[in-house]
Amino acid sequence: MRTNLIQSYLTNNSAVQQYNSDKIVKDFDVNKELANRTFIKPLPSNGKLVKKNLFYAPAELFKDMRYDMKALGHSIKGEANDHELGRLNDLGMKLGGLGIATYLYARKATPLTKIMEFVGLGSFFAAMDIWPKLALQLPAYLVHGFDIRQQYEDNYGRKKPVFLDHQFIPWDLYSDEEINKIGDRLRVPKDIPNRREFIQEKMRKIALQNNTMWMLTAGFATPIMSALICNALTAPIQKHQDGQINRQAEGLLVHFNDEIAKYDISERTTAFSKLLDDNLGKPVSGELFEQIHSNLSRGLDPVVATSLRTDLENMLPPADSFNFTNETLENVRNVLKEHFSTLPLSDEELSAIIPDNDSIRKAFTDRNLIKDGVDEFSDHSKIIQGLLKDKIAAFTSANPDNPNISGLNFRFRQLLHSNAHGVDSPLAKAFKTSPAAILNENVISSLKGISETLSNFNVKVDILDRYAYLKVAQAPETILANSWNDISEDLLKFFNFTDKEIARSRIDREAAGSILRQKIENIAADDKTYGEFVDNLSRKLSALFEKTSSLDVAGDDTVNSYTKTVTTAYDTAADSLRKANMHSAANALAGFPGQSVEASAKHIQLSFVNDRISGVKSSFYRLLNTVDMYRRIAKLNDRVPNVLDDKMPRVAKEELVEMCKLLLLDGHTSDYAEKFYALRSLDINPPENLSPEQLREFYSQIEVKDGKVINRHLGQRSADELAELSNDSGFFKKAMELMYGEEIHTDTNARIKNSAFYQEFLRYRDDVLNHLGYDDCFAKPHHLAGHYVDSSSEKRFLKMGCALDEMFNKLCKQKFNNRVWLKMFGGFGAGLLGVTVLSQFFMGKMKVPESVKENK
Amino acid sequence: MILPVGKYIDKKISFNSKSEDENKLAYDKDTLLKNNFVTRTRIGMNKLTKAFTEYPAKGLVGSKNSNFYEFLTMGTVPYLIGSATLMAIFNSANKYYGAFEKNKAAVLGNKMALGVLFYGILKSVSKSLTDIPVQLATGIDTQLPYAKVNYELPEGPDDYDITSIEYHKVGESVDFTRWDQLYGDPQKGEKVNFRYDKIAKKNGLGENLNDSDQEVKPIYKEVLVKSNLARSFSSYMWAAVGVALAFQKPWEEYFRIATLKFWKPKEFGHSLKVFGRSFVDSAKELYKGPADALTHFEKHVGKYLIGAAAGITVLGVLNTLHITKKPPKHNEVLDKNKESVVS
Repeated sequence: MRTNLIQSYLTNNSAVQQYNSDKIVKDFDVNKELANRTFIKPLPSNGKLVKKNLFYAPAELFKDMRYDMKALGHSIKGEANDHELGRLNDLGMKLGGLGIATYLYARKATPLTKIMEFVGLGSFFAAMDIWPKLALQLPAYLVHGFDIRQQYEDNYGRKKPVFLDHQFIPWDLYSDEEINKIGDRLRVPKDIPNRREFIQEKMRKIALQNNTMWMLTAGFATPIMSALICNALTAPIQKHQDGQINRQAEGLLVHFNDEIAKYDISERTTAFSKLLDDNLGKPVSGELFEQIHSNLSRGLDPVVATSLRTDLENMLPPADSFNFTNETLENVRNVLKEHFSTLPLSDEELSAIIPDNDSIRKAFTDRNLIKDGVDEFSDHSKIIQGLLKDKIAAFTSANPDNPNISGLNFRFRQLLHSNAHGVDSPLAKAFKTSPAAILNENVISSLKGISETLSNFNVKVDILDRYAYLKVAQAPETILANSWNDISEDLLKFFNFTDKEIARSRIDREAAGSILRQKIENIAADDKTYGEFVDNLSRKLSALFEKTSSLDVAGDDTVNSYTKTVTTAYDTAADSLRKANMHSAANALAGFPGQSVEASAKHIQLSFVNDRISGVKSSFYRLLNTVDMYRRIAKLNDRVPNVLDDKMPRVAKEELVEMCKLLLLDGHTSDYAEKFYALRSLDINPPENLSPEQLREFYSQIEVKDGKVINRHLGQRSADELAELSNDSGFFKKAMELMYGEEIHTDTNARIKNSAFYQEFLRYRDDVLNHLGYDDCFAKPHHLAGHYVDSSSEKRFLKMGCALDEMFNKLCKQKFNNRVWLKMFGGFGAGLLGVTVLSQFFMGKMKVPESVKENK
Repeated sequence: MILPVGKYIDKKISFNSKSEDENKLAYDKDTLLKNNFVTRTRIGMNKLTKAFTEYPAKGLVGSKNSNFYEFLTMGTVPYLIGSATLMAIFNSANKYYGAFEKNKAAVLGNKMALGVLFYGILKSVSKSLTDIPVQLATGIDTQLPYAKVNYELPEGPDDYDITSIEYHKVGESVDFTRWDQLYGDPQKGEKVNFRYDKIAKKNGLGENLNDSDQEVKPIYKEVLVKSNLARSFSSYMWAAVGVALAFQKPWEEYFRIATLKFWKPKEFGHSLKVFGRSFVDSAKELYKGPADALTHFEKHVGKYLIGAAAGITVLGVLNTLHITKKPPKHNEVLDKNKESVVS
């Protein structure tokens, strides 16, 4: 504690000598102060203004953390002061915030949403700190020339704002020079009396007004600013996350063997080995068979597991197959003896009833029933029944008054029938004592080898599944999902959708389709715009192709090729299984050798990925194909499509082009299935007696202006004058030809021919033509005599992709929702910032005292 | 304080807080208040009203009488406005969305709003988990309020009411605890140290002490510091539990039928009933974890959060009750078995 000067004075300066602070002003002379009678005042302050800038920030941060830790220690001991407790309250708030973020992190499913919980927490605290600095401190400094949030460090090293308490502002920390400089910025006249006091009062007033503004605005500003920060950070964080996930996924295949080594399969194989070794030389009971099968088939899909059972049944005969030996006969007799021993019969009586070993053996030998691998015991049962019946009949006739006769007959029936459904009768149990299959060393060795093969295989599949999940799973934030979002987000920019168009397009697909069509027609009509659009889309598609090339490009031989790794893993396991005579399981795993693999687990592993990618790519290829067809129509002068030849009436041409334009925008597979059901004009044949000129006109080419067809006939007739021309089978084919069969426009070709996806895009067009372009495509497999139908509803669905009007309807919905929110709160935030900043110009208004007039 | 006598000599200056308009709750001097529900509510309403009206008005004009108490009291303003804004951020744009998006956004928005509400409620209520055990065990009421009469500078020549009332707590500052407020008033027949006597007795310092106040003060201060720490940490952790509770799935049932239309008793009653059911189910889900949790952490994180809040509270209270500043008992000062020399 510091010594009061008064006390020093009273005690004849002894206490002054004890005071030994090295911070005290060196030139302080107590006697001089006393002589001047100014002794009754506080000691000179050892506090100082804290200089804050970026250079000092790390040091300040470290200092604050150390202070907080000390404060925590003091508080636990009950020795903290008010300032320390205040700091700890802030620490508690951060701890609670961390608790919230951690909980919500655990509840969120995807990496981005998880990380955004902590970003949200950080942004909230950042907003709390940034808002007063941005909206008040900085403008106040620029307008008034001093820092309204200036901090000082007191004698005890506690940092506090200078203007925290307006009744106790440590003005002595500001030198006259500093105050006067601020006064100059505040335009305080230099010749007023008590200038320093006036400046101080003005500063106090400005600081107080700013503090009040802070309290009034922070409630609005902090959450809004936090939300805006999160909004702004989402895209870069997602991009970073996407890169990380991609690297993580690629790492799985690039370091495939290292990843395999991370798995410990010893526990599984050891447990299985122990099971086998414990049962060495023992018959394979039903229970043991199930344990072996269950162990081997763990992690396999049900089809492979079932095939594995078939193989195991061949290797280990079924549990209901038993060897019938002399020992079995002995056992049968013992069982019979035990069964009838519950009756009060003497040993002699019992011996008379139970057939002896010789007679049983003879009966079985005569019928050749003593053999191995018996799974059906009706003959054996009949012999025992016959022998017993004879014996009981003989006993009954010899002892007609024996009270056990009825009991004997009852026990006899009990011997043959079980007391519950599915349970063997006592006699049947007696036959099944020596299972046919024995677990010998060769079988055990073979089973151990199979176990190791399948365990390793499971590990590989697990890694491949993880890779496939990260890349293409039907889940948010996979590489494929991010690519979809990335491309579709940019599509609105490529098409230059305005806010109004977005607002209209979000209503329904019809509205979206109509706007989209206009945009595509405009783009297709203009060379420069079309070129830019194709370039932009091409760039995005190339990126998508690159990201997914390791997954779906057949024959790719790179180290991270999914196709190659899957093929190797499945084929290696299948080969090992075949060597162990597990052909059924091997075929289920990797397909029949040299034949189609479509019914195998390998195909499922590959096709899951291929289908997911195919669905996404088809949607974007459809867009490219659509703008290309619009371009071909817009540029009829460059080259007339083959289908629009001079044998087709103009009205049909107009109908065809209109329908194709619509179909590419909104068509589903069902539209193709019903061959584009459409009401058409009946005038497909020229009327009689037409002049040559009229005939030329009848077959004339359509007219196009600014990408739009100038229809001369279409839309001229009412709906009841139109009909579905089901006999015009060529119309469907021509439409398919126009959309997918004709060569792409030269401009499109020139711009994409060097792209990585070029060949795939051409294949896509061929595939659509081949899977949706003919009547045969829509027949069910095996329903069309003499034809092989390769097209399935799944393939057609995947090739069709997303209808463009629906795609843009959804995109516009998302965009609209984001913009509404952003406009609402961004606008409010901007308004609040503006008002807060402008308020500086109304602060610190004070009446300036009159200047001191010099006496002349 | 020194007033410009010349100006005010013929005016009736009020040196107490009894103005013509306000005379029911006035105090002539700093006065200790009872810590009960009525007082707390009255003080809370007074501070809340002034935080939104008088204090901002004084602050915006740069009044020379604005002080730190008013600044701190105004802290309620961003707290409440911030809560409302946070609710609005997640809900107010929903009406512009399509039906499906509106529905999906409303579920999250409602949970967020409920989270804000629960944050405030649990943060406030959970303080009792520290205060009550501490008071029961030590007899020290760390939240004991008193009314402070504050003398201000006149704002202008016509400002005759120069007093204002501030509501503080005796233990608000550990550096400047208002010990004087704890002394009894002999004029009212109270023993000077009767409050200190009670605390001394409760903490085993003995009875009929000559200077119980001197013996109790170190203990009182220690309890203030430690309970403050416990309250700060535990209340924010319970607030976090409140947010987590609001994010449980069972609340969605309540959101579907929630209504505040109390003038429709049937619907309002049903809404309350479902609220209760959702609360119980949500608490269970928070503790047991969601059924679709994939990892151990996802399954048990709710348990850990509740455990952390409860653990911090218990540790905080135990630390508070572990008083180290007790003076030695008188018979321990001198060991009678040893020879002592007093000079």
